[in-house]
Amino acid sequence: MAEVARKPAEYGADSIKVLRGLEAVRKRPGMYIGDTDDGSGLHHMVYEVVDNGIDEALAGHATAVTVKIHADNSVSVRDNGRGIPVDLHEEEGVSAAEVIMTQLHAGGKFNNTDDSGNAYKVSGGLHGVGVSVVNALSDWLELRVWRDETEYYARFENGETVEHVREVGPAPGQKGTEVRFMASSKTNREDGTFSNLEYSFKTLETRLRELAFLNSGVRIIIEDERPAEPLVTELFYEGGVREFVKYLDRSKSSIMAEPIYMIGERNGITVEVAMWWNDTYHENVLPFTNNIPQRDGGTHLAGFRGALTRTINLYAQSSGIAKREKIDFTGDDAREGLTCVLSVKVPDPKFSSQTKDKLVSSEVRPAVENLVNEKMAEWFEENPTQARVIVGKIIEAALAREAARKARELTRRKTALDVASLPGKLADCQERDPAKSELFLVEGDSAGGSAKQGRSRANQAVLPLKGKILNVERARFDRMLGSQEIGTLITALGTGIGRDEFDIKKLRYHKIVIMTDADVDGAHIRTLLLTFFFRQMPELIEGGYLYIAQPPLYKVARGKSEVYLKDQAGLEDYLIAMGLEGAVLRLRDGTDIAGNDLARVIEGARQFRRVLDAFPTHYPRAILEQAALAGAFDAGKADADLQMLADSVATRLDMVALEYERGWQGRITQDHGIRLARVLRGVEEVRTLDGAVLRSGEARRLGSVAGQSGGVYRDPSRLMRKDRDQVIHGPTDLLKAILSEGEKGLSLQRYKGLGEMNPEQLWETTLDPEARTLLQVKVEDLAEADDIFTKLMGDVVEPRREFIQQNALNVEHLDF
Amino acid sequence: MSCPICAKPGDPAYRPFCSRRCADIDLGRWLKGSYAIPSDDPVEAEDLQNISPEADERKRPH
Repeated sequence: MAEVARKPAEYGADSIKVLRGLEAVRKRPGMYIGDTDDGSGLHHMVYEVVDNGIDEALAGHATAVTVKIHADNSVSVRDNGRGIPVDLHEEEGVSAAEVIMTQLHAGGKFNNTDDSGNAYKVSGGLHGVGVSVVNALSDWLELRVWRDETEYYARFENGETVEHVREVGPAPGQKGTEVRFMASSKTNREDGTFSNLEYSFKTLETRLRELAFLNSGVRIIIEDERPAEPLVTELFYEGGVREFVKYLDRSKSSIMAEPIYMIGERNGITVEVAMWWNDTYHENVLPFTNNIPQRDGGTHLAGFRGALTRTINLYAQSSGIAKREKIDFTGDDAREGLTCVLSVKVPDPKFSSQTKDKLVSSEVRPAVENLVNEKMAEWFEENPTQARVIVGKIIEAALAREAARKARELTRRKTALDVASLPGKLADCQERDPAKSELFLVEGDSAGGSAKQGRSRANQAVLPLKGKILNVERARFDRMLGSQEIGTLITALGTGIGRDEFDIKKLRYHKIVIMTDADVDGAHIRTLLLTFFFRQMPELIEGGYLYIAQPPLYKVARGKSEVYLKDQAGLEDYLIAMGLEGAVLRLRDGTDIAGNDLARVIEGARQFRRVLDAFPTHYPRAILEQAALAGAFDAGKADADLQMLADSVATRLDMVALEYERGWQGRITQDHGIRLARVLRGVEEVRTLDGAVLRSGEARRLGSVAGQSGGVYRDPSRLMRKDRDQVIHGPTDLLKAILSEGEKGLSLQRYKGLGEMNPEQLWETTLDPEARTLLQVKVEDLAEADDIFTKLMGDVVEPRREFIQQNALNVEHLDF
Repeated sequence: MSCPICAKPGDPAYRPFCSRRCADIDLGRWLKGSYAIPSDDPVEAEDLQNISPEADERKRPH
């Protein structure tokens, strides 16, 4: 039918063909304008006319398009473009405007394949068949044209000209075209086309907004005169598709500041893309061809997806992120949370159907792919921080997807639970009642061996876990629980894993006991396990099923008796108890302190030592101790009479010194500290307590602990035993004397690992329910463990090494 | 406490995480063995067997 307009013909004969063409439109309107019942076709009538205005704007001749829904349900569309030509169309013998209105496929936009000059290069319209279809499906249509300072008018009814184009009068300074039509409807006459004339302001606004975004700089005004208070909306977006994606994501939070924007041309195809990622999981990619949306995508979308996946993959590989996280991602992962507007302008697009829901022009795919590949790689290079954020999000999407799949897999495997399906490393117990069963998670194979032999097979199961070490870049060795270990653990517990699959009712043991060495690695494995349970099986902890074993750190033997001691503090307690036996502390005034009283004094001495240990090492301990006993650290002392204080410390030092080593002198220093000096064999020995330490909180604490000793150390005293005694000048002396007495006749063994204990010892100390102590893990402990874990780990991607070095001590004494 | 993955406030249904998504991301890292605590300990001989060959190569002087 396209030839109709071009065929040179006589006026009469040709006009009959034209009428036939429009007759066909009325007969089968669905083919040309869409559904006439659900409103889509009706709104299409408006778009069809608007497209002409947009075309004028795209060609640079118009700046605004106004759409008005009149009170009588007619619609007018006016642009301020050049105005439809009104001069005589040579081929048709009537005005060009009339040709456009009454002939199918007439208009400038169909000439885009040649260089005739009057064509639109790329037409936004092309919706089908042009405005003549609107005319054909209208009861009446009025055309007004402002051109060459003159206003023209024509009127059509049922697609036929009833008033030829005529001059209305001069219109100085005005230009443009207005089409006002009354769509044919059943509400007006029985054989009308559309079932009603209910235009939806919202629907029009949505589509016109799209057009305003896609045609940056074009102003679109919508007016609705039907309500008592007319509605007006002006749509104008200079940012184009960039603003479009922002608008689409207006209620979401984006992970980047500005959308990625690219525009370019390949083989005559203009490609414009704006994309950004938000923190949701939904993909929203809107492809357009010549301003028309493709619900079902097509070659442009395929090209875009291919390029996106490729570019991100390349970046993830080259930046090392993919390797670090050990994951490959799919295109779906890459598009999670992506909002994108992909707009192509194609000279002669081909679609799979009349409704243009899918673009099939094969030349578009390479054009889009090529351009997006190039521009996006550029962008990634220029914006490394944002690139990292984007790829990080994509990796997370892949991780989550993988995890859900694996969780299902692991859990399914467990459903066919029998002994055979249990992990080979697990030494299970005979008991089948979970309430009576215990599972020991033991670090290392050798300890696992001891535990397997030493346990009670009836109800104690043992699962050895190996804390793998992993050599990552920078030649460092990291402790980790391998995927194998975690998988084995999950299978042994029987609960399954993951938010959907985990079922605490299937737990096979109601006591899960973590048993690790009392060293840094043990602490690390324990932290890993606790964090895993806390995060992925919180019900296990809430149910009170998780425990920590307390294997001894020391074994002491005296004669035939053997004692296991949990830690350093336990060992000291033991040594003090031993050292106290038969000891009496005799003060200068003859008072004897022994038994429980002496134990209390020694407890005070331990506290004193703890505070003393907190001082920086360059301060002399003995001087600090005596200064504290002389009252130098009592509140306010240092700021009262400093010389008197210096003298009293000197006097105290003389008192505890040997007779020939006395002669301490105290002086005030420039920073209001004290300088203590004596001459020993002709050499001056100088000790300084500077002003800062004298007034520090630590000094205050030490002074306060010294003050609590109740005068025990006011004068030198004597620690007496049956056969000997020794002089005591302060808490340190006393503690040392008692401890060294306690050590006498002892053999001390420090267990470096559980593996050093033989099976019997392990049973006696750690496994035997009668003798062992188990710490039950509480959720509160775990929030803290997680915190420590997070700090230890730092970011998975960039572990914070500094923190770990600074907190090495804390880690060693981790105790949950 | 805040979500260990994204630091947003936690959701009791997904404790200690804020969402199913973050819980899954975390699980994914466990199942991949991506969580590791840096250690400064000297490497034991038996542990050396667990080190991947490529890591070994990196250590070898050229």
